[in-house]
Amino acid sequence: MGDMVKGNIAVAEAAVRAGIIVYAGYPITPSTEVMEYLSTRMEDLGREFIQAESELAAINMVMGVSACGKRVLTASSGPGISLKQEGISYMAQMEYPAVILNVVRWGNGLGSLDGSQTDYHRETRGGGNGDYRNIILCPSTVQESVDLMYEAFDIAEKYRCIVEVMTDSGLGQMMEPCEYPEFRELTKCDWGLDGTYKVKRGDFLGRNIPGESETYMKKVRAMRENEQRWEMYGEEDAEYIFVAYGMPGRVMSGLVRTMRQQGEKVGILRPITVWPFPEKAFEEMKEKNPNLKGFITVETNGEGQMVDDVALYAKKYGMGTLPVYALPYVCGVPKDDVVAADFAKVKAGEIKEVY
Amino acid sequence: MAKTKKIPNLCNYAMFCAGCGHGVLVRLICECLEELGQEKNVIAAIGVGCSCHLKSGINCDLVQSPHGRAAAVATGIRRAEPDKIVFTYQGDGDAYNIGLAETLNAAYRNENICVFTVNNGNFGMTGGQMAWTTMPGQKTATSPRGRNIELTGIPIKIPELVSYSFKPAYVARGAVTTPAEIKRLKGYIMNAFQAQMNKEGYSLVEVMSTCPTNWGMDPIVAQKRLIEDVIPYYELGEFKKRGE
Amino acid sequence: MRELVFAGFGGQGVLTAGLVVSQIALYKGFNATWMPAYGAAMRGGTANCTVKYGDGPVYNPGQQKPDLVLAMNTPSYKKFVNLVRPGGIILVNADMMTEEGNARSDIQEIKVHCNQLADQVKNPKGANIVMIGAITKILGDFTHDEGVEGMNDMFRKKGKSKFEALNVAAFQAGYEAV
Repeated sequence: MGDMVKGNIAVAEAAVRAGIIVYAGYPITPSTEVMEYLSTRMEDLGREFIQAESELAAINMVMGVSACGKRVLTASSGPGISLKQEGISYMAQMEYPAVILNVVRWGNGLGSLDGSQTDYHRETRGGGNGDYRNIILCPSTVQESVDLMYEAFDIAEKYRCIVEVMTDSGLGQMMEPCEYPEFRELTKCDWGLDGTYKVKRGDFLGRNIPGESETYMKKVRAMRENEQRWEMYGEEDAEYIFVAYGMPGRVMSGLVRTMRQQGEKVGILRPITVWPFPEKAFEEMKEKNPNLKGFITVETNGEGQMVDDVALYAKKYGMGTLPVYALPYVCGVPKDDVVAADFAKVKAGEIKEVY
Repeated sequence: MAKTKKIPNLCNYAMFCAGCGHGVLVRLICECLEELGQEKNVIAAIGVGCSCHLKSGINCDLVQSPHGRAAAVATGIRRAEPDKIVFTYQGDGDAYNIGLAETLNAAYRNENICVFTVNNGNFGMTGGQMAWTTMPGQKTATSPRGRNIELTGIPIKIPELVSYSFKPAYVARGAVTTPAEIKRLKGYIMNAFQAQMNKEGYSLVEVMSTCPTNWGMDPIVAQKRLIEDVIPYYELGEFKKRGE
Repeated sequence: MRELVFAGFGGQGVLTAGLVVSQIALYKGFNATWMPAYGAAMRGGTANCTVKYGDGPVYNPGQQKPDLVLAMNTPSYKKFVNLVRPGGIILVNADMMTEEGNARSDIQEIKVHCNQLADQVKNPKGANIVMIGAITKILGDFTHDEGVEGMNDMFRKKGKSKFEALNVAAFQAGYEAV
């Protein structure tokens, strides 16, 4: 087992090992350790580190690197990720892959520094203009953050899309032992610009927009089909399935085990991708378990955001009549006893379903 | 005897309006790249607006940047590909209005890129709205009563700002007016590329141009206005010479 | 699963103390997490972190019902004394405690003059290390040697082995004080 490592440092090192040749970013709590660490780490490896004038500039620097087919990372939090949306939309259009780390902090506007899941809607729907999709990976431990960050670059290049690793203050600031993967060789994708104009531009006045859209959507369908990731436990006999990702995801993975020992018929679905949402898990639950009584999301935001997706996919797989509850704890790390007490209220009918 | 110069292979069809200065600048950039043997070693980041037409105007790798962000995109290209020629091609609205932060910060860092801006005193592609470069009293689509500099600021001079405040490698302002000025401008562009090839740092060449379509003028009248009314304010020449 | 909270003023080394204990736990072969108080609280001059360790995975790294709270000063004592689980322990820095204490009868309160002890072993910045020694003895989750070796291992990896003798002395003083 490795030594105690802070989540933000661990993901940064994972990106280094995955072969980023440039990091561009702007400081913002609680993601700043990422760039502080990379400021010297990249230099020591003879790679490039850029403290950009803004998150907006940083994402555009990312675009420049990505256009050359090389691996690049930027990291930020809440309002900083808002500023990056313009570049993300452009990159989606140009099919420039990149990996973005969002260490989510609570709130609207300036918000606060607390760990939270208030960015779920934006990340899963895409915050910029257009019709694009990003793959959103949600680790729940420091080790999983490392593993997903390392793999994120392969996924991004496979689909030529944006992959976001979404953690939060808690996962970024906490320490846990972790093992690092091997160093990858620095690579350049064969489509990357190299100054020779080998990839000719088409006639940009004669664009076939429906055709362009269909080509893109084919890719989106492949992403949706191939990239769903999740972890489930207790789903075969549970009456209530908790759905939680990230920090609440790990909390519920433990609490469900405790509750089952106490005789509660509960299970957990922990989405690892929130886009694509792990709908195949719903298909499995429907097949395996005729005794389901409801779904309960555990989230750290004001009134539940993922709860919308749970209701949609419950409906899609024939479980639309089941109630879907949200237990929202705004920020921080949900406490086991509080969640257990709220579960009792759900069963007693004191907490009403959202859908 | 006048000689006809061979059109550089880099040049493709230009989609600019009649009398517009963009086409001349594109041609000069292509000639310089070719003369420097860099035509197969160049990546551009282009702005939004009339500079988008570079997509058809030049046969080289380029990245369509979001509006104003070309200098940031070029920074990324530069860091990813240290041995390529990297330049931006932008209008004044792109580089000096919406992209002021990215333009100045790239200059501030002395990023080893060339920035070419076409200053025609308005937003061309969107239909002739006021830019920070619009002259006092000039009528545009968003200053139909004439630009009020009390409310909107005085015409912006980025080459002066960059050369006096930062430590760039090379800064100049040229014009696509007379053959003599065009020849001088080509020298500026050459210097900018050579500075980059020598890893001297950031260079900026601003190019004074007409916009006959949006100025609502015949191209010849527009040239007269540019020479008589605009260039006296926007002094031509080198503001920061290489090695200074 | 053990839960410990380390609390004090910024500069008293409570975050480091928590980290050392979590490293000792790893050294022993446990799983462990370390989580700092974060948000506006960390900007106000007080600091605290929560450490959990045990045989299985640590699912919930957050502050819940600590088995032991280290209170390095009076405000930390007041803030955390009611968080300790019934039957748990509050370990108090007697040198920085301006009040009577003994706020609860259902927990054990242990006072250690860790600043004085640190001074006595000529390691005045090692009051937090003194408390690590005390915690090792009080909880008995690791042996004396596991504690010392786990601590030294961590500081060696951080390139700070030149303070090893001083740290061991501080650890020893705390271990013997309880």
